[in-house]
Amino acid sequence: MLSREDNELLTHSGTGTPMGELLRRFWMPALLSAELPERDGPPKKIKILGEDLLAFRDTNGRIGVVEPHCPHRGANLYYGRNEECGIRCAFHGWKFDVEGKCLDLPTSPPESNYKDTIRLLAYPVREWADIVWVYMGPREKVPELPQLEIGLVPASSRYVTKKWQDCNWVQSVEGALDTSHFTFLHAVLAKDDAAARAAMAKAAIADQAQPDDRIRWIHNDPRPKFTVLGHDAGLLVGAARKTDGPELYWRISQFLMPNHAYTPTAFPGEIYYGQCWVPVDDRSCWIYTYCWQPDRPFSNAERAKFDGGFNVHAEVDADYVPLRTKKNDYLLDRAMQKTTNFTGIVGVSEQDAAIQDSQGPIQDRTREHLGPTDVAVVEFRKLLMSGARGLQGGHEPKAAASGKGYAVRAGGAVAAPAKDLEAVMVERFGHARGWVGGQYGLTR
Amino acid sequence: MLSHVDNEFLTQSGPATAMGALLRRFWMPALLSAELPERDGPPRKTKILGEDLLAFRDSNGRVGIVEPHCPHRGANLFYGRNEECGLRCAFHGWKFDVEGKCLDLPTSPPESGYKDTVRLLAYPVREWADIVWVYMGPREKMPELPQLELGLVPPAHRFVSKKWQDCNWVQSLEGAIDTAHFSFLHKIPSRDEGRKLEILRQTSAIGAGTELQDRARWLTDDPRPKFSIHGHETGLVIGAARKTDSTDLYWRIAQFLMPNHALVPVAFPGDVYHGQCWVPVDDVTCWIYTYSWVPDRPLTNTERERYAAGLSLHAAVDADYLPIRNIRNDYMLDRTLQKNESFTGITGVSEQDAAIQDSQGPIQDRTKEHLGPTDLGIVEFRKLVMGAARTLQSGGEPKAAQSAEQYAVRAGGWIAGPDKDLAAVMNERFGDRHGYVGHEHGLARR
Repeated sequence: MLSREDNELLTHSGTGTPMGELLRRFWMPALLSAELPERDGPPKKIKILGEDLLAFRDTNGRIGVVEPHCPHRGANLYYGRNEECGIRCAFHGWKFDVEGKCLDLPTSPPESNYKDTIRLLAYPVREWADIVWVYMGPREKVPELPQLEIGLVPASSRYVTKKWQDCNWVQSVEGALDTSHFTFLHAVLAKDDAAARAAMAKAAIADQAQPDDRIRWIHNDPRPKFTVLGHDAGLLVGAARKTDGPELYWRISQFLMPNHAYTPTAFPGEIYYGQCWVPVDDRSCWIYTYCWQPDRPFSNAERAKFDGGFNVHAEVDADYVPLRTKKNDYLLDRAMQKTTNFTGIVGVSEQDAAIQDSQGPIQDRTREHLGPTDVAVVEFRKLLMSGARGLQGGHEPKAAASGKGYAVRAGGAVAAPAKDLEAVMVERFGHARGWVGGQYGLTR
Repeated sequence: MLSHVDNEFLTQSGPATAMGALLRRFWMPALLSAELPERDGPPRKTKILGEDLLAFRDSNGRVGIVEPHCPHRGANLFYGRNEECGLRCAFHGWKFDVEGKCLDLPTSPPESGYKDTVRLLAYPVREWADIVWVYMGPREKMPELPQLELGLVPPAHRFVSKKWQDCNWVQSLEGAIDTAHFSFLHKIPSRDEGRKLEILRQTSAIGAGTELQDRARWLTDDPRPKFSIHGHETGLVIGAARKTDSTDLYWRIAQFLMPNHALVPVAFPGDVYHGQCWVPVDDVTCWIYTYSWVPDRPLTNTERERYAAGLSLHAAVDADYLPIRNIRNDYMLDRTLQKNESFTGITGVSEQDAAIQDSQGPIQDRTKEHLGPTDLGIVEFRKLVMGAARTLQSGGEPKAAQSAEQYAVRAGGWIAGPDKDLAAVMNERFGDRHGYVGHEHGLARR
């Protein structure tokens, strides 16, 4: 439970808010590279952390993320012409490059230097891992990009997309870190084995070698024991369930500051999944969903499967809005809910979205009742809120300066009961916090 | 650039605001006559200056514009019955005439005098120039109707339409008097001269004369017209001179008429004249009345059809006067068209204007703008309306409201020698330095 003040501190990210300031110390996904496919193509309206912005790819392929209103009379540059290395306002032809420099100001005499006094707000941009990243914080604090493994593997070994969500970003991250909900929200009711597998078709766990065992363990133990450990870039969140023998079935996720989370499912050889939440405003967000394979390219069949909605990937339209959304009640099928799955909603991603949206546009945390399986949620909030408060007191977030510390993995393991989370991590990943940067030549 | 406080002062027109008080000293277009086509027909909801109102045409053809809520228990008279010279509430049958007088109050005994104590707020109304005008200010200050030439010519000589716009009225009006934007927003980059001429003729963006291509070229070639501005009783003459192929200057001269009209700077003698009037619905939307007229001949059917289809300043609208190409469908912007044939990729001069004006935000944030020499008309316009609103706050009535005849002016284009100033050019083009033509319609000579 949080006080009303703390709930606002946690969830508000507009300009000037403490959490907004913290988020602005990190690189944020602004859009997918695929959303700006061509040079001199149409600019794209975006909104991040409550700020309306405009993104365009110039003649040289460089991307600008700028204030959308022309400094002259405030016309939106969206209606402008993206040509010859800059965006030109449709109203009076003022023209700006990707860095916000005024290249042409045709309403003033050529000999006037008015042009040199005019600037358009432009944020630093990087294109990496099929994502256009933007940094919206103070210029002298620009950190290096977080070295997520998705950007370290070859392009053929990753898949990145995004989906719209109709709620505050924080409760959606909390849903990802609370791995105990798998016992319920994603549960399958069908008794018949084939029907159960069909009902699991959009869940990563259905692909695994011993899926029935793991599904059964998840189903039979609704009270996993949580262990949470901190590291430079975030939190390691382990949840141990009983198996058929004395061993424990560990599902271990990662939270990476300030807005990434990795799913806890992958066994060695399997696909790794992660998500990044980017607030649009305080009541909606984009979720970038990505997956990767450290040691092989994805097949076309796998890409097609992701396109159709699988695991964290939603089934979306051309604007990345999920087909099953709040506006159509996620196409909830009550008959399906009686006989086949716990929710009557198709898709792991859509089940998550439905339940997270249902907590309200901004969850009222003054009325919640947390228990032992919510310990990761509690630790996540502590980390984020202390980061925001620390920054208010002049302390820069450590994670922003630890780009290489983001090269970690999360996943599943079956381990002897005596092993603690660190020992399980060493056994599973060769490192107590799951760091694999060494495999890509990174040093710490 | 304005301060935040001045920007609010300029753009807010609700009942208790200074600009709202100024606007309420003038007659406002409330709707087109055509929107109330029949006696005892359906009443029509309208909203002006943030006030919800109801308009209806009674059995005698008179139009009433009234507060929509019945004084009894607040039911909306829109659901009432327009019959026998009054509007009767559907809830309990209270009935009011176009002047707000209570004609029947059936829930009180016939001998009761209660009926005579009840009044519905009703504003003075005039029907003139195919427009229903309303006056929402203090009754004792009610001026004459502005004698726009539109209303002085026979009905066959004019065409009036209206269109919805999704932004504050002031920035839209500023777009109209900033004639420098023609070098960009309405430019036709097509290299094919024939195609260019066809588009120009289609849109009538720069008149219908034979020197179209010259004028289009001058517009494109000189993005820095020199502005001269003269004030007069009812507004501002705004001249902008561009270079031509010779030493002559190509003048485009607009008029701003207090508090919310602008006449376009295009017409050469013999061409069609166009004007617009902005009526705030609230602070983030407005109706734009668009009107065209020819002083000395009826408009042809072809001309009417072209205007109805959305050519020149008129927008292509649906049955409710909402533009077909609007903010909700991104004005049907076509990026391929934008690459090759049009500066914006948006079809229609009116729609290009709407797109760029809406895009300035629901209310443009003028604390962030950067004005230059080509924005002079805007600066003078703001000074004039803000000055008048401030004067009215301290008890000074607006002079323009009392100068109804001085609205009979024209605006248009001209080519003149380089030594002529704006007054001389106006004299040469219109026979009056302020473009006054009232005497041609029986009004007094100045």
